[in-house]
Amino acid sequence: MANTINIGKFTEMLLAAAGQIKANEAMLGELDSFGGDGDHGTTMARAMNNLIGAIEKDTSGQFQSLLMDIAWAVMGTDGGATGPLFGSLFMGMSEASPATDEIAAKQTGEIFRGGLVSIQKQTKATIGDKTIMDALIPAVEAIEAASGSDDIKTIFEAGYKAALAGAESTKDISARFGRAKNAGDANLGHQDPGATSVSLIFKGMLEALKS
Amino acid sequence: MKMKKFINTPENLVSELLSGFAMANADKVVVEDGLVCRKSSKSADKVAVVTLGGCGHEPALSGFVGKGMLDISVPGEIFAAPGPPKLLAALRKAKRDAGTLLITLNHAGDVMSANMAKQMAEKESIKVSEVLTCEDISTGPREKPEERRGLAGCLLVCKIAGAAAEAGENLEEVTRIAQKVADNMATLAVAATSATHPSTGQVIAEVPEEDVIIGMGQHGEAGSGQMPLPTAKETVAFMLPALLEDLSIAKGEKVMVMINGVGSTTLMEQYIVLNDCKNMLTEKGIEMARSAAGEFLTVQEMGGFQMIVCRMDDELLKYYDMPASSPAFTIE
Repeated sequence: MANTINIGKFTEMLLAAAGQIKANEAMLGELDSFGGDGDHGTTMARAMNNLIGAIEKDTSGQFQSLLMDIAWAVMGTDGGATGPLFGSLFMGMSEASPATDEIAAKQTGEIFRGGLVSIQKQTKATIGDKTIMDALIPAVEAIEAASGSDDIKTIFEAGYKAALAGAESTKDISARFGRAKNAGDANLGHQDPGATSVSLIFKGMLEALKS
Repeated sequence: MKMKKFINTPENLVSELLSGFAMANADKVVVEDGLVCRKSSKSADKVAVVTLGGCGHEPALSGFVGKGMLDISVPGEIFAAPGPPKLLAALRKAKRDAGTLLITLNHAGDVMSANMAKQMAEKESIKVSEVLTCEDISTGPREKPEERRGLAGCLLVCKIAGAAAEAGENLEEVTRIAQKVADNMATLAVAATSATHPSTGQVIAEVPEEDVIIGMGQHGEAGSGQMPLPTAKETVAFMLPALLEDLSIAKGEKVMVMINGVGSTTLMEQYIVLNDCKNMLTEKGIEMARSAAGEFLTVQEMGGFQMIVCRMDDELLKYYDMPASSPAFTIE
């Protein structure tokens, strides 16, 4: 049981998240082909390469500035809404993080909530709109609810489980936001690529904790 | 459909196309740090005009950079908006006391990047005002502009706002004039054949062999009306009244009509369509005060065109007629 998480472990978690996205690039592109223009996989892979680049360059060794560097790098992806959305997620997480090299388990809830609040300034989408929010909102809520457990792994297990369920729930709805909303029901029956990306990110983070 | 394009690696599409674009238009534009800028910069006491948007729509949007038009275009990836940092870099570069007008086409990514970059710019005391173009009548009613996509009508906003800025009007006035164009234009698209996404090779628009689709967006987003291939006159009879009605254009008013070929529809067809527009307007007692046809904002090899109607008055005509010199659009 670990009730704290240091920057080294957190970095491993982010790299594992990036690894999950990159390993599933083709699948994400295919999911996007049912409503979007099929570039979600390549765009997310570019965003994750930028994230990896920011991690490699970071010398601060603390949460707040690492997350801010990642936010700018991800925003610079030039990939439509992906950059601003995921960029503002990391920016909000940074603003809610301390400038230290370690955080307590109970702080994870407020850090992810900061990310969610920040992303919600960019989009009005909420649960049921078939977007990244279908996975992100339940994941953040689950992390908050589990934050009292004092065990990092339990917290991220709850987050991943909620993100996965949220992503799977998008199969049965039609898109109401972004470019896919103009695709009619073409995306019905398929998981939202953005929500799937969010669940893959949480999957990667959890796997790094287990290793 | 198998993709048949003369390209190299998908990752380098944008950098390679921008490099070639700059070479081909070396008298008008320069590419600096990924931003497409006017070759001879405008004096600093005049308002700067900036836009952002994805690539793959050549000559848009960077083709609208030049004297009497845009100062900077911020290109994104293929069909995907640039991120806020790149737009912020452009706003910093354009920074001046006179201020900057940002023209944003209404697409989710563009709007988000514009909002974030604007907030960041304001923190740095960069004076920016924004006009959103949302003129696609197929995606939402006039009362809900947020549901309307920004299509090729942005060219008219760039042209007229660019002229007002060049003429030395202040930011408030340039913004008012740009907004007036945006409010008085309407666009409808028709797709005849599909296109492929140059990075993914994926078909971005499914158009049945025998049919056309009215209202298809510039990334292959679904359209509203599918019908067997009509003649040019029938197509105009379907599209033009819808645009005139949306704008509530009355007998005796002046309009500009622009036919924007989206890729593989020939100029011959565009001229025929424009001619039919003129005939119909004459029948309705509406004056076609200005007109244009050509490829301004394309969707790869898609067949079809966008029809743009803009209500014109003496003020808009004055700015429209002022000289402009950009790779994609010139007025002498």
